[in-house]
Amino acid sequence: MNPPGSLAGLDPNLDEHLSTQILAPSVHSDNPQERIQARRLRIAARLEARRREALGEYLDGKKESEEDQSKSYKQKEESRLKLAKLLLCGTELVTNIQVAIDIREIHRRVEEEEIKRQRIEKLENEVKTSQDKFDEITSKWEEGKQKRIPQELWEMLNTQQLHCAGLLEDKNKLISELQQELKTKDDQYVKDLKKQSDDICLLLERMEEQVKNVMKTFREELYNIEKAFEVERQELLASNKKKWERALQAHNAKELEYLTNRMKKVEDYEKQLNRQRIWDCEEYNTIKIKLEQDVQVQQLVLTRVPGWRSTWPTPVNVSCLATTCDILEILEQQLQQRKAIYQLNQEKLEYNLQVLKKRDEESTVIKSQQKRKINRLHDILNNLRSKYAKQIKQFQEENQSLTLDYKRLVLQFKELQKAMRHFALIDDEKFREIWLMNEEEAKDLIARAFDVDRIIHTHHLGLPWTAPDFWFLKNVGPISQQPQKSATQIVEEMLMHTEEEEAEEAASEPESYLDLPKQISEKTTKKILMLLCDESGFLIESKLLSLLLPLEQNECYLLRLDAIFSALGIESEDDLYKLVNFFLKYRAHRLSSSLQIKSCSQASMEKASMEETSMGSELELAEQTEMEGAKEESLVEGEKEEEEETPPSPWDIHPNDVLKILEAFVMGLKKPRDSRAPPRVQKNMRNNSKDSEYWQALTTVIPSSKQNLWDALYTALEKYHIVLTQRAKLLLENSSLEQRNTELQALLQQYLNSKINSELQVPPTQVLRVPTK
Amino acid sequence: MQETVTTSALLDPSHSSVSTQDKSSTGGHTSSTGPQPSKPSITPVSAKSRNPHPGANFHRMRRIIAEDPEWSLAIVPLLTELCIQHIIRNFQNNPILKQMLPEHQQKVLNHLSPDLPLAVTANLIDNENYWLRCCMQRWPVCHVAHHGGSWKRMFFERHLENLLKHFIPGTTDPAVILDLLPLCRNYVRRVHVDQFLPPVQIPAQLRPGDQSDSGSEGEMEEPTVDHYQLGDLVAGLSHLEELDLVYDVKDCGMNFEWNLFLFTYRDCHSLAAAIKACHTLKIFKLTRSKVDDDKARIIIRSLLDHPVLEELDLSHNLIGDRGARGAAKLLNHSRLRVLNLANNQVRAPGAQSLAHALAHNTNLISLNLRLNCIEDEGGQALAHALQTNKCLTTLHLGGNELSEPTATLLSQVLAINTTLTSINLSCNHIGLDGGKQLLEGMSDNKTLLEFDLRLSDVAQESEYLIGQALYANREAARQRALNPSHFMSTITANGPENSVG
Repeated sequence: MNPPGSLAGLDPNLDEHLSTQILAPSVHSDNPQERIQARRLRIAARLEARRREALGEYLDGKKESEEDQSKSYKQKEESRLKLAKLLLCGTELVTNIQVAIDIREIHRRVEEEEIKRQRIEKLENEVKTSQDKFDEITSKWEEGKQKRIPQELWEMLNTQQLHCAGLLEDKNKLISELQQELKTKDDQYVKDLKKQSDDICLLLERMEEQVKNVMKTFREELYNIEKAFEVERQELLASNKKKWERALQAHNAKELEYLTNRMKKVEDYEKQLNRQRIWDCEEYNTIKIKLEQDVQVQQLVLTRVPGWRSTWPTPVNVSCLATTCDILEILEQQLQQRKAIYQLNQEKLEYNLQVLKKRDEESTVIKSQQKRKINRLHDILNNLRSKYAKQIKQFQEENQSLTLDYKRLVLQFKELQKAMRHFALIDDEKFREIWLMNEEEAKDLIARAFDVDRIIHTHHLGLPWTAPDFWFLKNVGPISQQPQKSATQIVEEMLMHTEEEEAEEAASEPESYLDLPKQISEKTTKKILMLLCDESGFLIESKLLSLLLPLEQNECYLLRLDAIFSALGIESEDDLYKLVNFFLKYRAHRLSSSLQIKSCSQASMEKASMEETSMGSELELAEQTEMEGAKEESLVEGEKEEEEETPPSPWDIHPNDVLKILEAFVMGLKKPRDSRAPPRVQKNMRNNSKDSEYWQALTTVIPSSKQNLWDALYTALEKYHIVLTQRAKLLLENSSLEQRNTELQALLQQYLNSKINSELQVPPTQVLRVPTK
Repeated sequence: MQETVTTSALLDPSHSSVSTQDKSSTGGHTSSTGPQPSKPSITPVSAKSRNPHPGANFHRMRRIIAEDPEWSLAIVPLLTELCIQHIIRNFQNNPILKQMLPEHQQKVLNHLSPDLPLAVTANLIDNENYWLRCCMQRWPVCHVAHHGGSWKRMFFERHLENLLKHFIPGTTDPAVILDLLPLCRNYVRRVHVDQFLPPVQIPAQLRPGDQSDSGSEGEMEEPTVDHYQLGDLVAGLSHLEELDLVYDVKDCGMNFEWNLFLFTYRDCHSLAAAIKACHTLKIFKLTRSKVDDDKARIIIRSLLDHPVLEELDLSHNLIGDRGARGAAKLLNHSRLRVLNLANNQVRAPGAQSLAHALAHNTNLISLNLRLNCIEDEGGQALAHALQTNKCLTTLHLGGNELSEPTATLLSQVLAINTTLTSINLSCNHIGLDGGKQLLEGMSDNKTLLEFDLRLSDVAQESEYLIGQALYANREAARQRALNPSHFMSTITANGPENSVG
């Protein structure tokens, strides 16, 4: 099993790791056993290497390195040593000259010194002797001066002359000696120069030789090293080649072996196949013969008269011959029959052939027709296709343009909406302002009217006046519904409230009912919500839950509920109450179904209402909520009753039911939600139905009865006014008359008192009786 | 107008071939071209008739171009090329280089003449190739390695050296050198002058005296024979590092006169002042200049506490014990690393003072006292100093009349000292016993790499054995150099040794 597989796997890699791959088991082998073995081997090798590293580095390392260090290394070392020696010797040879000159110089110096010393000594001696001689001579001069005898003097002079000459001669001798020495020195100098030039020549020669030598040897050594390397390389190549060839041979041998094996096997199989085939043939033949025999027998049996079969087995021996004759007869008959049938069949077949030929011809005609038709249809199809493509293109273009238009329109629409919103806001604002202005004006007027009324009442009628109290008088600004609170706000409020409630216990219980506009018991609501909160934790995100852990219980509930509401799509107060109601209804329904006593009708009603809620559109929502509110009231009352009957009723809602309820609720809520978008716009529209009513009411601040009163008062007062004016006129008249009277009286008095009167015979005074003043 | 002419000139040579080509081609496909193209080709037409519509007949154009293998756009020089040529031609008057693109710069530099005045080129051109050409043109042999591998530096250094060499005080205008100063101040690092010419009057006066005899020597002392004063030059060169001077006259021939080789006191004083002012100087060499004790002391005094001086070479002079004492003082008042007093007249007292200074010195790496006469007293003193010294690596005591006592002490030093790598005791009288003692000392030493004992009366056997020990040391040092992790100290010791050697 293994060898052929591994061989096949190895074939491509054979060039690279021939020896190792064949000999050692591979880690990448298919066989697990082999892989294990390979790993073991690897570990063992590693351990071995480590051990050797630890132990034998000091001992083996050097030996190995020396052994390993190949010819090239040896050659290198050899060359290096040789060259170093050469350089050393060469420099020594060259510097030898310097050293020799140095020592010669030293010797010369020593000699020179010696000679110098001798010379100086000699000179000093000479100086001394000559000085002595000179002294002698000078002393003799003194002697000579005392000499009187000419002969003596001459003699002495002669001797003096001789002495002087001797002295001079000495000096001259010395001078000549020194000059001689100088000459020899000059010669020496020339010689030295020559010697030095010779030395320099020698030095140069040696240097050149050295350079040449060094270059030569360097070249040689380089050549040698290269050669050594080359040889080593060759050896390496040869050894590697040998190894390679050996491995290749091994591989070839193995392959050959495999091939022979395979061929043998193939031959074996062939033989086996042949044998099998022969055997099969034989078997087949025997079976065939047997079957044929069987068939013959059977035919015999079949051709026989049916009744014969029953009789055949018994008289076989008796009437064997007879039966064979019979059989032959029957066979002949049958042959005849067959022949007739054959004839008939032949004729039939011929006829059929003719018919078929005809049909064939027809069919060929039809085929050609069809072909033509097909061609035509193909043409049409192509035409249609092209048309279709064209149309597609056209429609695409159209579509594009239309989409563009659509986009533009959408943009425009959006802008329009924006503008509309803007205008709506502005309109609202304007409306509000105008409203306020008008309202102010109206209020002013109303106030004036009230003032007037008050004056009339108090001053004219003497009645006490009370300011009428109308609802619309307190209104400021446009009439609008209270904004709906969001569900969470309510919940928050509620929770807060219940908290307080808990603190205040039962004292605040009645108040709590007032807080909820829909008159649902706060407790039940809270409980339902708690239940919801506990049960539908799956609607809350896990992150939020982890965040909620450290919070207070109430806050926790609040946030949870918020999340749940957002998941359920409960947004407004109404939704919340709807939910609560739904719960209650569900419970009631369940209760009714369980109790089945009196709340049967109620339940049906609730069912109806449920259907209504689910079916009802948003437009009806407001009404419905109101209706529901009303219903709920009754419902709550009913509940209360129920509560009384069954005290733990709010807890009746089994936690398992919560999900069902929620599902039902969401299903119910979903439909209205779909049709929510359009009404929302309408929602912004304020209903102005009450406006006219309001303004109408403002006009009727002063009721008609009061107006009638005013009218009557007016007419009466007018009359009163007329009377008063008349009276005033009369008074004026009266006063003027009085004045005239007084004037006249004064005149009279005057006249009476005048002199004329006295002059007169009859004084008027006597005539007249002056009225007393 | 010009263009038409040139094109016609270009086209003309191809006429004959064109016509033949046309014939053959028209024969090949007349249907495509028709009879028209064949007409001009058959008749020898002037260039003008062809030129008005060269592009009109595409085939013909192509054929013309294809026929003339030498015709190509490359023949027409590019405008940039022309500009560059112009710039090269007028570089002396209008040097434009830095504004150009690098490749154009290169082109210009490759074609500039090396004879351009230095005033133009010195501070403008940094290209080594140009200066290489300049150097090659002036001097047949150039060792750029001696000038830090920079051809420009080499050019200026050798140029300056040339000027200094041929400067004759009194006759040559000093401006010749001072004018060069601003041009070369940034490039010259080394001044190497091996001759200083004396003033010219003296040779003129000397000539008759020379012929008469040496009797006139007394007179000739009188006139000043001062040489060129280096003060200004040295002060002007901002990067000067090496000063290598020889107060000498070369090739005097039969005009020889002792006066020519005088290093006067004035020279000495001015030189001392110059080197004292030069704070970048690292190497100072004053050789073969008859420097005696007094002059040496003057110079050494100016070098005391010099900030960077590393090498002082006063070899081949007349310095005696007093000068050596001065040098010893200098050793401990500077950062001197190399001191060369070879071939002077230092004797035992001078060597003793040097040894005294050396005993606690931590800068000096190499000391050369070759061809002096310090004798055993001085040698012993130096050996004692080496017992405490931890810095010196190279010591040359060749030719110093040393003998056995010094060798005994040195053998003790060898056993102790681990910094010395090279000792030279050649040309002494060490003697057989001294050689043995040195061998003993050598057996304990692992650092010495060179030990020269030639011609010092040492037995051949001990010399051979010492050689073996040195060989072992060298191998060890080589191993250490190959594996630098082992001994860092020895490598640092090896480095300077190599540089000195």
